[in-house]
Amino acid sequence: MLRTTLAGLRLHKSRYVTTVLAILLGVMFVSGTMVFADTLNANYEESVMGSATSVDAIAEPTMEEPEGPEPPEEPVPFTGEQLDEVRALPEVAEAGGILEDQTVLLDADGRAVGFVPPAAVALDGTSRLSADEGELPSNGDEIALATSTAEQTGFAVGDTVTVLDSEQDKREFTLTGLVEFGVDPTYSSRGAVIFDPATIREMTGAEGYGEIDVLAAEGHTPEEVADAVAAALGSGAEVQTGEEYGLELAENVGGQTEMLRVALLLFALIAMFVAGIVIYNTFAILIAQRQREMALLRCVGAKRGQVFRSVLAESMVVGLVASALGVLAGVGVGMAGARFGGPMMGVETSVSVVITPTAVLVGMAIGTVVTVFSALVPATRATRVAPLAALRTSATAAGLEKGTGWIRVVFGLLAFAVSAGLVALSRTMEMSPYLLFIVTGAALIAFVGVVVLGPLLVRGIVRLVGVPLRKVGVPSMLAVDNSTRSPRRAATAMIALTVGATLITGYSVISSSTEATMTRMLEEQFPVDYQITPQFSMEEPEESGSEGAEEAPAEGTEGTEAAAGQHEGAAASGENTEGEPAEGDAAGETGAGSAEQGGGAEEVSDAPEFPTVPDEVRVALESQPDLGQVFGQSSAFVGQDDGGGLPVYTYPGAEVGVDVTSDVVEGELTGFDPGEVVLAQSYADDAGVGIGDTFTISSENGEDLSLEVVAVVEDMQMLSGVTVTEEDFTRAFPGVDEAEMLFVRAAEGADPAEVRDAVYTAVEDHPTMQVGSAAEMKNQFTQMLDIAFYTIAAMLGLAIIIAVFGISNTMALSVLERTRESALLRALGLARGQLRRMLSVEAVLLCLIGAGIGIALGVLFGWAAGAAVLPNMIFAIPSVQIAVFIVIAVLAGLLASVLPARRAASTSITGALASE
Amino acid sequence: MTESTVKPDPTVTPPPVVVARGLTKTYDTGDNQVHALAGVDVEFHRGAFTAIMGPSGSGKSTLMHCLAGLDVATSGTVHLGRTQITGLRDAELTLLRRDRIGFIFQSFNLLPMLTAEQNILLPSQIARRGVDKQRFDHIIDVVGLRERLHHLPAKLSGGQQQRVAVARALLNAPEVVYADEPTGNLDSRSGAEVLAFLRDSARDLNQTIVMVTHDPVAASYADRVVFLRDGRLVDEVTEPTAELVSARLLKLEEA
Repeated sequence: MLRTTLAGLRLHKSRYVTTVLAILLGVMFVSGTMVFADTLNANYEESVMGSATSVDAIAEPTMEEPEGPEPPEEPVPFTGEQLDEVRALPEVAEAGGILEDQTVLLDADGRAVGFVPPAAVALDGTSRLSADEGELPSNGDEIALATSTAEQTGFAVGDTVTVLDSEQDKREFTLTGLVEFGVDPTYSSRGAVIFDPATIREMTGAEGYGEIDVLAAEGHTPEEVADAVAAALGSGAEVQTGEEYGLELAENVGGQTEMLRVALLLFALIAMFVAGIVIYNTFAILIAQRQREMALLRCVGAKRGQVFRSVLAESMVVGLVASALGVLAGVGVGMAGARFGGPMMGVETSVSVVITPTAVLVGMAIGTVVTVFSALVPATRATRVAPLAALRTSATAAGLEKGTGWIRVVFGLLAFAVSAGLVALSRTMEMSPYLLFIVTGAALIAFVGVVVLGPLLVRGIVRLVGVPLRKVGVPSMLAVDNSTRSPRRAATAMIALTVGATLITGYSVISSSTEATMTRMLEEQFPVDYQITPQFSMEEPEESGSEGAEEAPAEGTEGTEAAAGQHEGAAASGENTEGEPAEGDAAGETGAGSAEQGGGAEEVSDAPEFPTVPDEVRVALESQPDLGQVFGQSSAFVGQDDGGGLPVYTYPGAEVGVDVTSDVVEGELTGFDPGEVVLAQSYADDAGVGIGDTFTISSENGEDLSLEVVAVVEDMQMLSGVTVTEEDFTRAFPGVDEAEMLFVRAAEGADPAEVRDAVYTAVEDHPTMQVGSAAEMKNQFTQMLDIAFYTIAAMLGLAIIIAVFGISNTMALSVLERTRESALLRALGLARGQLRRMLSVEAVLLCLIGAGIGIALGVLFGWAAGAAVLPNMIFAIPSVQIAVFIVIAVLAGLLASVLPARRAASTSITGALASE
Repeated sequence: MTESTVKPDPTVTPPPVVVARGLTKTYDTGDNQVHALAGVDVEFHRGAFTAIMGPSGSGKSTLMHCLAGLDVATSGTVHLGRTQITGLRDAELTLLRRDRIGFIFQSFNLLPMLTAEQNILLPSQIARRGVDKQRFDHIIDVVGLRERLHHLPAKLSGGQQQRVAVARALLNAPEVVYADEPTGNLDSRSGAEVLAFLRDSARDLNQTIVMVTHDPVAASYADRVVFLRDGRLVDEVTEPTAELVSARLLKLEEA
């Protein structure tokens, strides 16, 4: 039996070419991902381990684990005496410390780099760190930068770099080297500037050591040294051997690679799923075409089981061969990915490609299992062929399927109804992350509906679009008829394409809706052109705000990421119960952090807590003729009894309800006067007050400020927390005299370039002031969304290519089946070109239906998913992208029909007529 | 095209519609060459119903394919009217078939997804040619398909399917209709219907018909039978009867 199977495979191998390609592509994706991730991992590990194992022990200051709601204390750095103690230990040959502080680095335009100043570092003695390019600084005129910082600023070795000292005076250095901090979380996001030890003390006054690196004396193991150092440093230190430290770092890093691996594998599985559909269709068609062959086998005595096994064996061979090729291709792709993708992700690929047995086995297994599994149903169908079918001559009616059964219709409609119900339900429910699961579930059920009703859908849509097509000419008329003659086959081919189209459209709808929502938020609630904020300091101002400070770099060091953080924050927090609106700007985050710290006590925090914008900047801005209006935002935080914080804001120079505004829940924003207060909804709810009620704020001088609530506004908009007039604010918090943020609006009709110049001229003497522009923020945000979209589209592209292979294969097999028909048409006078056009139209029709259904599903569920996570989402249909999808679908159809059409047109008429 | 209602005077021979001269067709099968046609000279006259007969492998189908422009002859010429069709390019042959020739095949005559009426009108649609409604009605009535026009081929009997094919071939009054074993798949009664209809068309509509068959009974409906053996024309019978044709055929097989 196996011999028959193999002989059959050899005979029909051309029919399997596209199937093999489909499996190959899917497997290639899977194995490629594994190889890529493994290689990346090995590289990370090597770089991390390499630096850590160059020393024997590494000590870092630790902090006590905090108890209760108290935030963790910052660890106390090691002192010079502690370093000397370590050096004096008999087990220690050499020891060095890393002096740590922060500094303000200026870019080529003279503006401070980063939302948060980079770390300032000096290597005092032995260290695990070394210069990857050039030399470490050796005197007061030299400086080195973290590789990431150099990339961000564009500085290269030999350039002159300006740094501000603790007096904010500029000092120039020559860049002598670059240090690769790799993925070390302490430096990866903020970047770092490296001085020599004497200079860092001069520049920043740094005294503490953030880390002590130790080399063991002759005859002592790293463990002994680590123990000795731990004993010397006491409880405030965590000491690890170099190897332990490296392993820990590598583990952290490994987590990142694993996430990448999972994300890529997800797309690979989508591709495999589509490949499965293609394989199923191919086998189903082949079995249908080989009915007589199967029947003949049964006639000569093959049992049902043997026929079944023979089909499965066939699929197994196809699966194995295709998977093997796929794994080979995957290794190639993984190598290329590690080679070219690695550097893009900041990893130098020094290690050779890692091919684990897992990568090979997973690829082989997935490819083969999917193939055999997809062939199960067709194989079962093959066993149902009666031996008598061998004797039957195929009638003209071959290929015409029976109509769609009513059970199918009922089941399909039911699926649609349930899906629609779930979507409707998700719209009425309160926003929560679980909604996304409901929407996803609804999408899957709708997809099942499409699969079940596929044949009916194909027939219905073709009938509809067929009306104008039929009038175009005979080829398109015949194509319309051809595309409905095996609706099940056509539906399966089309559904493979629908998968990709749904996902891409869905994502693009979410992406464009997010963009539209963001744009509106920026325009309506950030109705200014520029925003001036001080650079965020990592220093601890009055022993508070440390948590906020730590959060800031994580949330983002640039305006873009802050904007993204705002969006994510908004998406994640949903219904705000805790009373801390997720503010996007760093000041808001900080406020939230410190407000929590106020904890318990009914006290007013010392002011100013955070860096503010100097009044000179405001004066300079106001003196610029191109700038129309300048207003500020000042804030103070009042601790609450329940441990929460009450952020109080005022906007000097702005009219509430006009210049700064939010959507009003109740009350009136206009005519906001002293003695009145505006509350964000969650604060009003917490305090249990409404319009006309009295809201009390504890003031700095101990007197309570009783104000009348005049408006309650939506959460997470411009007016967050508690808004009061400038008069009331000054009365309550006389210590807060500078704005934490300035907003600038251009003068009417001013040239944007000149406005920009004016703003930068005003802040020239204050390099640490961060200038944010609404337009730039929007651009960066749009750019980020675009990059994400193109990445995802490229990942899904493979699934679409596989689907096109499937359609091409279906066409090719149909053409094979219709050889005699094509010959008849040619005999009756259909020109070759017309025959080709007929097949092209049929393939394009299939692709368009598949893409069309996908686009419809994608728009619907993209909307539902977006609305489930984005509050007040503005639904935007990405019409340009959808138009592009449609064009791609047409091109895909044309592409899919090229080979089958050529084959059909080149077949000799008499040969085809003679063959029976 | 003048339609004559009287039977043509046998003494005045009308000009031949199809003329083949020195037609040969050679297939290369690797080692040796097979001569499917080894120099055939034959002509078919307007309004004549001619049967081409011969044992299996005699080249009768090849002859028909070459005459109809479906296959390319190795040498020799074929004229349809004043057009020499040997040497025409594929595109020109396609137009020629479309506009001037009708076909009836043994099976797979109809497109399964088109109704009987759509099948009949297909060549006209391909050619974007208007249909003579009267002729259409006349033919439909003669072949008795009026009630079945909107049926798909799968719903028609074999005889009905063949009658649809005949109606399609005749609708445009082509210069010649080629029929390749038109009754090969039919029972004798349906076969007789189709053959009678072909014969009547030749007589009443002055339609030139060339039919390939191996069935002496089918051949007996023709005005003339030509016999082919090993790629050569070897015999000819006019006003044939089934017995006469059988005898000749038997003689050919024996020789």
